[in-house]
Amino acid sequence: MTFAAVALTFLSARPASAALSISAETDKTTVEINDSLYLTLTVTGDSASVPEPALPRMDNFNVYSSGRSQNISIINGKISTSVAFTYILSPRFIGKQKIPPISVFNGKEKYLTQEIEITVTKAAATAHPPGTDQSGRPARRQPSSAETRTAMKPEDLLYLTAETDKKAAYPNEQINLTIRFYTAVPLTSNPQYVPPQFKNLISEDLPPVRNGETVVKGARYSYSEIKTALFGIEEGRASVNPASVVAQIHSESAIDPFDPNFFQQFFSMSAGQGETRRVASNPVEIRILPLPAGAPPSFNGAVGNFTLSAGPDHKEIKTGEALNLSVTVAGKGNLKILTAPKLPDMPDFKVYDTMSSLDISKTGDVIGGKKTFTTILIPKTEGRRIIPPIRFSFLDPQTRSYRELTAGPFELLVKKGDGEGKNFSFAHGGQPAGITPLASDIRYVSDRAVPPLLAAAAGRVSALPLWLNLFPAAAVLLSLWLARLNDSRLKNPLLFRFRKAGGAARAGLAAAAEKLAAGRPQEAAPLLYDSLLAYLHGKSGLKASGLTMKRALSLLREKFPDIGEHSLAEIRDLWEKLEAAHFSPGGAGPREVKDMIEKYSSLLDLLEREFKKSKRK
Amino acid sequence: MKKTILFTLFAVCSVHTAGAYDRNILAEYNDLYKNGGYQAALDGYKEMAAKEPGNPSAFYNAGNAYFRMNKPGLALLYYGKAFRLDPRDSDVRANMDLVMKRTGQAFVPEGMPKALHYLYYFFSDGELKAAAVVLWWLACLLLSLYALKAGLRERLSGPLLGAGLLLAGSLLWLMARASSPFNEAAVITAEGSAQLLSGPGETFKAYASLPEGRLVKVLDDTDDVYYEIGIPREGIKGWIKKTSAEKI
Repeated sequence: MTFAAVALTFLSARPASAALSISAETDKTTVEINDSLYLTLTVTGDSASVPEPALPRMDNFNVYSSGRSQNISIINGKISTSVAFTYILSPRFIGKQKIPPISVFNGKEKYLTQEIEITVTKAAATAHPPGTDQSGRPARRQPSSAETRTAMKPEDLLYLTAETDKKAAYPNEQINLTIRFYTAVPLTSNPQYVPPQFKNLISEDLPPVRNGETVVKGARYSYSEIKTALFGIEEGRASVNPASVVAQIHSESAIDPFDPNFFQQFFSMSAGQGETRRVASNPVEIRILPLPAGAPPSFNGAVGNFTLSAGPDHKEIKTGEALNLSVTVAGKGNLKILTAPKLPDMPDFKVYDTMSSLDISKTGDVIGGKKTFTTILIPKTEGRRIIPPIRFSFLDPQTRSYRELTAGPFELLVKKGDGEGKNFSFAHGGQPAGITPLASDIRYVSDRAVPPLLAAAAGRVSALPLWLNLFPAAAVLLSLWLARLNDSRLKNPLLFRFRKAGGAARAGLAAAAEKLAAGRPQEAAPLLYDSLLAYLHGKSGLKASGLTMKRALSLLREKFPDIGEHSLAEIRDLWEKLEAAHFSPGGAGPREVKDMIEKYSSLLDLLEREFKKSKRK
Repeated sequence: MKKTILFTLFAVCSVHTAGAYDRNILAEYNDLYKNGGYQAALDGYKEMAAKEPGNPSAFYNAGNAYFRMNKPGLALLYYGKAFRLDPRDSDVRANMDLVMKRTGQAFVPEGMPKALHYLYYFFSDGELKAAAVVLWWLACLLLSLYALKAGLRERLSGPLLGAGLLLAGSLLWLMARASSPFNEAAVITAEGSAQLLSGPGETFKAYASLPEGRLVKVLDDTDDVYYEIGIPREGIKGWIKKTSAEKI
């Protein structure tokens, strides 16, 4: 019975050059908590390969890959591919659960399925005769959680084991890994399973999870078993790192571990309070053996047990028409890594690209299935033509020997065609065939000794102390202050000169004192004279050198009416002395100059005070 | 003028050679890596990274060695360090993408266009900070000239506005990067998984298990033994031992 929830939702308009679709389907929409359901995702496209769908996170289900099946058809060189990916879903919670939209991305656009709702119900109760268990055997008394805990060591309550069915194998030979989680006590929350990591191995799920109960050293345990198929990559050592489970146990019985639906129940519980336990499995070492010597030329790494079949799809054909030659390898082994058998030389045919389709089965925990390689051939000439035998060889790990299989030869009758053959390409839209990724890996180490210029320069700049960045801010503040000062000077030059006059006069005094100290008093007097005139000019706004002393003093009195007579007298006195010293033939002596400096200094102090008073008024 | 040109040339040359490794030593470690001596190569790469912490190559190579040794957490940690120094490096991006996918994470968040993600991380944090510093100095210089030289104001207004806008842009970019998952981030490096506790101590309940390689946000690292971390996507936070995770 099929309950379909099939939908094709395009996020955008379907492009004419890249048709792709995805549909999702479950085998049932109602499932018991202790049961599982199949989810089939079918991706179809019009190119040789289609992308794998990206499964979203599904917290409500445990998801295991169950296999894939591919159909490919080529009609007149047009390709149609359909791949069905199958997953087993075990529900974790009772109630309405949803499978979210699943997407497939072709590099340009994303295609989505519709959401599917699944109803998860309680496990149906099975009627047992009183005193018997499910199998009809007499029921034993179930120990309570408290009894179990007191009777056993803490590390024996929960544990995880990992073991492989082989300790040594050839590359690509299947090794089955079994991880078992044992518990003798009830669990109070969803345990979290962290799968192991593998070294020199590739893995493939082997669903479903098996549950059961067993007796170990006299104690009854419920167990859950997860199987994984492993394949060695290359000769040498391979290892399975520890897997782990984080679980919470409770002193009070929350779930009976001996209930037949134990595993579904503990996954379906909500998180609760309890003691957290983390258990890890033991690591497992595996030796990957070197391949035996004597491999035939057609050997390309296949290990397992296979059969070979091949053949063209027509026995009669015309020149220029396309013929499909299919080579199918079927059996047990890692078909994913299988490459196409090398075709013999066929000078009578144009040989185009080979594409493959893959069906994987996992029956009986053995990875197998079939892989079909299809090649388009176009006969060049008419007549009876032969496709030579096709050879394929593999290593049988049971017998440790190589076996070579042959298919063909195949005879064809080629008739005269209408014209030249068409060119065929498996790639979409006549483009060259795309690259098929086989595996992903990291890129190689860098041999660049010099760091990128920008990064190095940034490192240098970032290494500078942060406080250094205060300098530009200080410079800006200083500039703004200077600009303001300059602005005010330009706007009011007289006021600026008035304010600066005192400072300039003091500078003149200092210069004169220096001259005196240097023993050149005759040079000091003119300096003092010029300084006094400049000072009076600055304060009065009138050029004193162009005025008589009397006129200058009169103007000062007019401009500063509050200036005292004593101050004016002192100015007059100093001016006269300086004039005398400046214009007399011998100049002033050191003593006179010293007196004038002292007088000038006192006068400056007096005048500054007077001008300040006058300005305040 | 000549002195200025000479100084600039010297500065550029010194930047060009700063942080460079000895090519022969790097080649020696790469040979070890090539021949499967991952641990020895890793020791060498770590030594180089310690000497030249501004050069991303040793971090990237150390990430590769850890990956080969099947330690995805430490691999992601070192790729993260390389990514923070040189986010434009396609090899670093590719390897981070692969490791994050293998640890159930997405390098480019779902729904975010790749081009936008590339642009968002085009410059490293260090480059953005350096750009902000240079633009700050430039803007201040132009502003000082603008204030002092009235005659140049018309010619300076355009560059001044440009420098100001670029400075604001770089600061905004830096602020936007604060929400990056690689900012104040740590990677779970404990083998297998690490337990997330509800408080900074063994007495607190473990309520989540974080798988190795999981990227988390460090909220507080002042405690001696524990990081307070958050996982924004899941909306949970808690404490993990500092021995279980390392900051990028």
